[in-house]
Amino acid sequence: MRKNLLKTLTSGLLVTGLLAASLTGCGSSDKADGSAEGGATEAGSKAAGYRTLDEIKDSGVINIGVFSDKSPFGYVDENGEYAGYDVYLAEKLGEDLGVDINYVSTEAANRIEYLQTGKVDIILANFTVTEERAQEVDFALPYMNVALGVVSPDGAVIESLDDLGADDEVIVISGTTAETYLAKNYPDIKLQKYDAYAEAKTAFENGNGVAWANDNTEVIAFAIENEGYTVGIPSLGDQDTIAPAVTKGNETLLTWLNDELVSLGSENFFHGDYEATLLDTYGADYEDELVVEPSK
Amino acid sequence: MANLGIDVLFKGTNFLRLLQGLWVSIEISLIAVVLSIILGLVVGMLMTLNNPFLKAILKVYLEIVRIMPQMVLLFIVYFGTTRVFGWDVSAEASAIIVFTFWGTAEMGDLVRGSIKSIPVIQFESAWALGLNKMQTYFYIIFPQTIRRLIPLSINLITRMIKTTSLVLMIGIVEVLKVAQQIIEANRNSSPNAAFGVFAVVFLLYFIVCWPISRLATYLEKRWE
Amino acid sequence: MDKDILIEYFPLYKDALFLTLKIGWQGIILAFVIGLIGSAIIHFKTPVLKRIVGIYIELFRNTPLLVQLFFIYFALPKVGIQITAQTCGVLGLGLLGGAYMIETFRSGLEAVPVIQTESALSLGMSDFQTLWHVILPQAISISVPGILANVIFLLKETSVFSTISLMDLMFTAKDLIGMYAKTIESLFLLVVFYLVMLLPISIIGAIVERRVRYGQFGD
Repeated sequence: MRKNLLKTLTSGLLVTGLLAASLTGCGSSDKADGSAEGGATEAGSKAAGYRTLDEIKDSGVINIGVFSDKSPFGYVDENGEYAGYDVYLAEKLGEDLGVDINYVSTEAANRIEYLQTGKVDIILANFTVTEERAQEVDFALPYMNVALGVVSPDGAVIESLDDLGADDEVIVISGTTAETYLAKNYPDIKLQKYDAYAEAKTAFENGNGVAWANDNTEVIAFAIENEGYTVGIPSLGDQDTIAPAVTKGNETLLTWLNDELVSLGSENFFHGDYEATLLDTYGADYEDELVVEPSK
Repeated sequence: MANLGIDVLFKGTNFLRLLQGLWVSIEISLIAVVLSIILGLVVGMLMTLNNPFLKAILKVYLEIVRIMPQMVLLFIVYFGTTRVFGWDVSAEASAIIVFTFWGTAEMGDLVRGSIKSIPVIQFESAWALGLNKMQTYFYIIFPQTIRRLIPLSINLITRMIKTTSLVLMIGIVEVLKVAQQIIEANRNSSPNAAFGVFAVVFLLYFIVCWPISRLATYLEKRWE
Repeated sequence: MDKDILIEYFPLYKDALFLTLKIGWQGIILAFVIGLIGSAIIHFKTPVLKRIVGIYIELFRNTPLLVQLFFIYFALPKVGIQITAQTCGVLGLGLLGGAYMIETFRSGLEAVPVIQTESALSLGMSDFQTLWHVILPQAISISVPGILANVIFLLKETSVFSTISLMDLMFTAKDLIGMYAKTIESLFLLVVFYLVMLLPISIIGAIVERRVRYGQFGD
């Protein structure tokens, strides 16, 4: 009996209809709650996965990807507010652009992906400029200096990567320059990889790895803030810089960002940023070493 | 041992933020369950049809849901679709799509089971009375299956709430991400926060899921 | 999709598959053992232990594996309990799986007619002999489909191991996406490897389920 319930054709149509309905259903509900992101969707092509400066202004909201667990650069304070060196800059950008900021909490490994898929307009998440990344995203002018560093517990300070035993594991964060650098230059070192800063640091405190390799700014901050740790290798690999990044090809936003950074640099904005967010951690000694005032 | 780091939860709005994070998870689960029930009824009905083409598609669909980890699906929907089709799906929408995709399969299978268990004579009587197929399903079949489905869908809610812990991987700030943020922001003042905060998160999940799964068991026994 | 990249990434995924399987199976064996012991305790209604097993089941069935792992891996060291990521993975999976296996075995045990126990006892077998020689073999064979479903469930759950630094399949994909942004290739291999790992088990499960149904008496 049931065989005749619906003819083959009708059921086929039903499936197609159902699929289409569920797809459009999802699509429209998505647009309803994410109207800010509507602009990027329109073109529907890979190449156009970003919003131009005008589209951002029109929408009144800019999506900025920052860390939410990387104190003192990008974190969330006890009142639920984003704070830190990167966020201080983000706030200024939003103010000068005259739009609200929608912070998107990012992990290190998601930063390129977020830009390429247009899920954020700008990444301001302690993003080190490297050649490989520059092929994937467009960097604006740098606002901070950075190199790699390695921190280890006082009892067993690692002063050279050659000190590491065969079974020693070094903690890194997935998607950071430290990971790529070690994987490329020291392929024999065992890496223990974490997604989130909070996790990597907790694991390091718990003694799950002999050392933690990351941006030297980060490891220096960690050693200053936490008793019992020494930065055995303060500078490893190349001296790099940290800069905001936008989706590749987003010329209008990039141009505005660079002009804005130059103008901020001429006011010594980033020294002010340092004093507001990093001074407590690093003291005054590192100010000139870390801060870059962007200029043409 | 003295300081287990529970005190950080009383600083500022920390505890409130944890609860808000939890609500994000619950909200996603509830929306997904409602959608799953609706779509599940349709898919379940389709599963009872004897159309080979349809059967094959649905079989593949069920198998995908059965063996693909939800996290893989989340990554595919969140990052993959943008790459391949250029769709810009927000993280929350991705989560709802994935959970609905999963829930619909489970509900569909259950609906199929309960439709099959309804004697053929009911269909035949309905038609004999002049009801059309749609009416038969709406007035005769679905009302009988729904009662059976309620405990199972309540059960599905708890499993979804538990699975929402994965959405932090695609950038949704839910309870675990808030936990990480709290631990990070208080690392100096409260080095043991990881213990207190994760213990509380563990308990929060339990407090939410346990009563719901008890209710499901209770209803299942009662309505059997 | 770039074929060269697929070939380049392949060995990384292969290593990850072996790690996933290694931890997965160890965890599943642990879950099996916990399941057997736990269901026996409930079956024999051992006074205090029964309550403990009950609390254990509720705790682990009503919290996510991810949170369990976070607690074991990141929180317990703060009170002096230190374990490696691999041990944590096995333990987490075993404890979660155990809570499900107990239920599966228990319903298997309940499905064996009481008359079988009574007959075995009247033949002079001890409680343990009855369980071991008469009840358990039947209960397990009834439970096979449930057990296989649990196995698939647990192997799927290994995808959260990435958060505690275990380089499983999921982590490999995430890591490669983060480093080289070859999203499509990374996700494609991820799907392929999960299919290779789980599809055979799923198919075996379906076949066994049919067999077991035929294998029951008087049905």
